[in-house]
Amino acid sequence: MGKFGRRAVVLLVACLSLFVIAACGDDDDDGGGGGGGGGGQTGGEISIGTVGPDNADPVLWQTLQAVQAFAPAYVPLMTYAHEEGSAGAKVIPGLAEEVPEPTNGGKTYAFMLRKGLKYSDGSPVKASDFENTIKRLLKLGAAWSGFFTGIEGAADFTEKGDFSADIPGIETDDKTGKIKVTLVQPDTKILYALAEPYAAPTPAAKSPAKSLKQPPPGVGPYTLEVVDFSRKWVLKKNPNFPDIPDIPKANFDTINIDVSDNVTKLTQDVISGTLDFMTEDPTGDQLPEVREKYPERIKEEPNPPNTYYFFLNVTLPPFDKQEAREAVNYALDSNALVRVFGGRLQPSCNFLPPQLVGYKELDCKYGDPSKPGDIDKAKELVKQSGYEGQDVTVWTNNKDPRPAIADYYRDVLNQIGFKADIKTLDQQVYFEQVGLKRNKAQTGFTDWFQDYPHPGDFFEPLLSSEALKAEVTFNEGFVSDPFIDKKLEELRGKTPEESADEWAELDDYVINKKAYVAVYGGEKSTSFFSERMDAENCAGIHPVWKNDWLQFCKKG
Amino acid sequence: MATEPATDFSFERPATYEEEARREGAHGVSPWRLALRRLKRNRVALAFGFLFIVVVGLCLAAPLWANGPAHTDPFKNHLTETIVLDGKKTNVVSLEGTPIGPTWKGRFFLGADTNGRDTAVRLLYGGRNSLLIGCAAALITACLSVLLGTLAGFVRGFTDTVISRTLDVIWAFPVILLGVALGTALSLQGLELGPVKVGADSKLIPILIISVVYVPYMARPIRGQVLALREKEFVEAARAQGANPLRIMVSEILPNLSSTAIVFVPLLVANAILLEAALGFLGVGVKPPEPSWGTMIGDGVKHILSGPHLAIVPGLMLVTTVLALNVFGDGVRDAFDPRATVRVEH
Repeated sequence: MGKFGRRAVVLLVACLSLFVIAACGDDDDDGGGGGGGGGGQTGGEISIGTVGPDNADPVLWQTLQAVQAFAPAYVPLMTYAHEEGSAGAKVIPGLAEEVPEPTNGGKTYAFMLRKGLKYSDGSPVKASDFENTIKRLLKLGAAWSGFFTGIEGAADFTEKGDFSADIPGIETDDKTGKIKVTLVQPDTKILYALAEPYAAPTPAAKSPAKSLKQPPPGVGPYTLEVVDFSRKWVLKKNPNFPDIPDIPKANFDTINIDVSDNVTKLTQDVISGTLDFMTEDPTGDQLPEVREKYPERIKEEPNPPNTYYFFLNVTLPPFDKQEAREAVNYALDSNALVRVFGGRLQPSCNFLPPQLVGYKELDCKYGDPSKPGDIDKAKELVKQSGYEGQDVTVWTNNKDPRPAIADYYRDVLNQIGFKADIKTLDQQVYFEQVGLKRNKAQTGFTDWFQDYPHPGDFFEPLLSSEALKAEVTFNEGFVSDPFIDKKLEELRGKTPEESADEWAELDDYVINKKAYVAVYGGEKSTSFFSERMDAENCAGIHPVWKNDWLQFCKKG
Repeated sequence: MATEPATDFSFERPATYEEEARREGAHGVSPWRLALRRLKRNRVALAFGFLFIVVVGLCLAAPLWANGPAHTDPFKNHLTETIVLDGKKTNVVSLEGTPIGPTWKGRFFLGADTNGRDTAVRLLYGGRNSLLIGCAAALITACLSVLLGTLAGFVRGFTDTVISRTLDVIWAFPVILLGVALGTALSLQGLELGPVKVGADSKLIPILIISVVYVPYMARPIRGQVLALREKEFVEAARAQGANPLRIMVSEILPNLSSTAIVFVPLLVANAILLEAALGFLGVGVKPPEPSWGTMIGDGVKHILSGPHLAIVPGLMLVTTVLALNVFGDGVRDAFDPRATVRVEH
C-alpha cells in the first residue's frame, strides 16, 4: 500500500468514525419522544406551502392552516396522540403529568405540570400562565372562547371585561405546578378543548408578544417565528423542548412555511419539489392530474371528520312537515354529489362522521347512501305533506363547489314537486346570514368540521335548543327537540367512550326518526407531498389537525 | 382600467348636413337618408351587423334547440347519466367530476358542465340573458343620459352643478369595481326604493347597475353638445317666438341629439354586455341557476384544464358579439357623423 493508499484508509476510517458519531447524535436527538414518524430520514429542512395561518397569536387563530403550524410549537396541558386515524383522537398528557379523572361530581379537573418545563425562550413554565391564557381567550373574544365559558366564573369574567379579575374556577399554584379547573356543570368536552394549541400556556409577561405579528414563546418541539406575516413563517427546532412521552421531537431543523393564496402555484411547486407539502387540496382541475401522475404522493381521507348536509328549517314550510324532510332524504343521490365534489365525497347517511366515537353505521331508512335516490317515493311524500308546488329557496355560498351542490339540490327539489330557486351569498357572510332567524332561510348548504373529536361537538352546536340562544346560530334548521336536549344534558358528563351507544341512538333519532337534516356524506381532504417526502409512512393524517407535521419525514 | 375620463367626445357639429351632402353630391337628401346611404356603402359594418343579428337569432331560437335535438333545458342536471358515443356508454360527468367534451351531436353538442348541464343549451339561453341585459341597460343608459345631459346643458346653473358633480362621482369609480360593489350590496336583500321593490335574484339588478355606471360616459358628451346647441340661432328663434324651455328642449334640442344617441347605442350595448360578463365572472351578475356568458366563463375557468370548452365556448360567443357590435357601431358612427370619434372606454 503506497503513501496515497494509506492516506485513503485513514480518511475512510475518519469518515466512518464521523458517520457513527453523527448517527449516535441523531439517535440522541430523536430519543424520548414516541409516536409519529415512519423512521425516515430526519434533519435538514423542508418547505410547506399554505394559504397561511390567519393570526400570529396562538389564542386567536381559527383555521386548519393555523392549527397545523401552531400544534408543533404550542403543547397544551393535554394534547392529542400523535397517531394517524382514530388513534390520533385520544387525549394524552401534554405539559401535565397525566390525564386527570374528574372529581366533585365530574366538575373538577386537577392537573399537575411536569417538572422543569421551559418555554422556547428559556423562561420557566408557571401554572399561572395557564390561567393567563384562558383569560386572554375570554377577554379577546377568541373564536374558541365559548369552549371555556363552562368554567366557574368565566361568564362573569367575560361580562365584566376586567383582565385583572380572577376566574374562580381556575386555581393555580406556581410553586407546586398544580392547576385546578372547576366547571359549573359536568362536561367531558373540557378535556378536548384543553388539548388544543389555543389553550397552551404562554408566558404571561410575553403574551401577547411585543409585536402583534410575532407569536409568544411556547413549549413545543419547534419554535414558531413570523418572517413576513403574509409570505413566510418558520418553525425552528426548539433546543429547550424536554422529553415528553408520546410527543415526538422535531424531525427537521427547520420547517419553512411559505404563504401564498395561489393554490394552483402551490400544487405546481409540490409537483416540482420546490415545496414538500401543501396544506391545501389541489384545485378541482389539478386534482385528476395529480391523482393520475403521482398516486404514491397523494392521500385522500375524510379528515378532519366532517359532515356535509342540507339544513331543513323545521319552523317554516315546507320542512315543518316530516314528510317533506323525509322526501329530501329519499331523493338525494350521493353518487351525483360525489361527481360534484370531484370524487372527494364519501357518501354517508349518518350525522356523525365515521371517525368519531359514537358512530355506528345507520341502517338508513332512505336506502343505501351510495345508491341512487328514490324520486318516486319522494314525490309521494311531498304530495302527502300537502306542500306540492311550494316555493323553496336553496341558500348557498360562492365557494367552489357549493354553487354546484346547491344547483344539484335545486334540481332534485324541482323533480320531487317543489318550485325551487337558489340564493347565492358571498362565503364570508353566508353562515351569519343563514343563522339569523329573521332571514328565514328554508333550506340550504351547510357543513361542519369537528372542533375536537367529541360527538357533542356535532350535536350541541348544530341541533340543540341551547344553540338557538345565540343571535347567529349554527342550528340553521332551528331544531328544538326536547328529546335531543334531554339526551345531550345526560351525555354531557359522560366520556364519549362510555356513552358511545347513546350517541349512536341520537344519530339514529335525528336521521331516521325525525329527518331533521339531509346528510349526504363527508369530504375527503388531500395530503400531497413532494417526491422526497415519505408519503407512505409519514403522511401524518391526523383527525384533529388534518396533518400532524411532527409525523412528517423524508424518504430513506 | 382607467379612472380618468377616457371617452373622446369631440363632436365637431358646425359642419352642416348640407355641407356634407353637397360634398357627397346628395344635396336635398335628408340627413337620415344620407346616413343610411353611407352605412349601406360600408360593407364591413353591414357584415358585422348581420353577424350580430345571427347571434341574436340563434339565442332567440334556444328553446327550439333545447326541446329538439338536445332534449333538455338549461337547468337540468345530468350528473349520473350516460350517453352512447361511438357505440360506447360514456358518463356525462365522470366520477372524478370531469364533464364530457363536445359530442358534435344533438345531445351535449358542445359538451356538459360540471353539473352535467348541456353547454350548448346554456350557451344559447345565456346569450339571451347577456343580450337582454346588455340591450336593456344600454337603452336605460341612453335615456338617462339624454335626459340628464339635456337638463344639465340647457338649464345650467345649480341643476348643471348637481348633475355634473354626481356624474363626476360615478365617473371617479372604476366601472367594474363600482359594478361589483353595487352587485354585492344588492345581492342579499335586493333593491327597495319606496314602493319599488326589486328582488335580489332579479335580472333588473344587473341591468340597473350597468345602466347607472355608464351614464356619465354618455351624459357628459350630450351635455357638451346641448351647451353648444342652446346658443344656436334656431334655439334663439324659438325663444323669440315665446316657446317655453321644455318645448325648446323637446322640439329643438332633442331632434338634434338623436344621431349622437344612435351612434352611442351599439357601442353602449357592446360595453354593457362586456360589463355583464365581467360581473357574472365575478359572481355578482345574473344569479344562478340562470346562465349568462360571464357566469359560464367564470364557472369554466375553474376547470380550464379538464374541460377547456366550458370557458372557451362562451368566451368565443362573447368576443364575436362584442366585436360585431363594435364594428357595426363604428360604421353607424361613420355614417351619422364622420367627424365624430365616439368611444366608450373605461
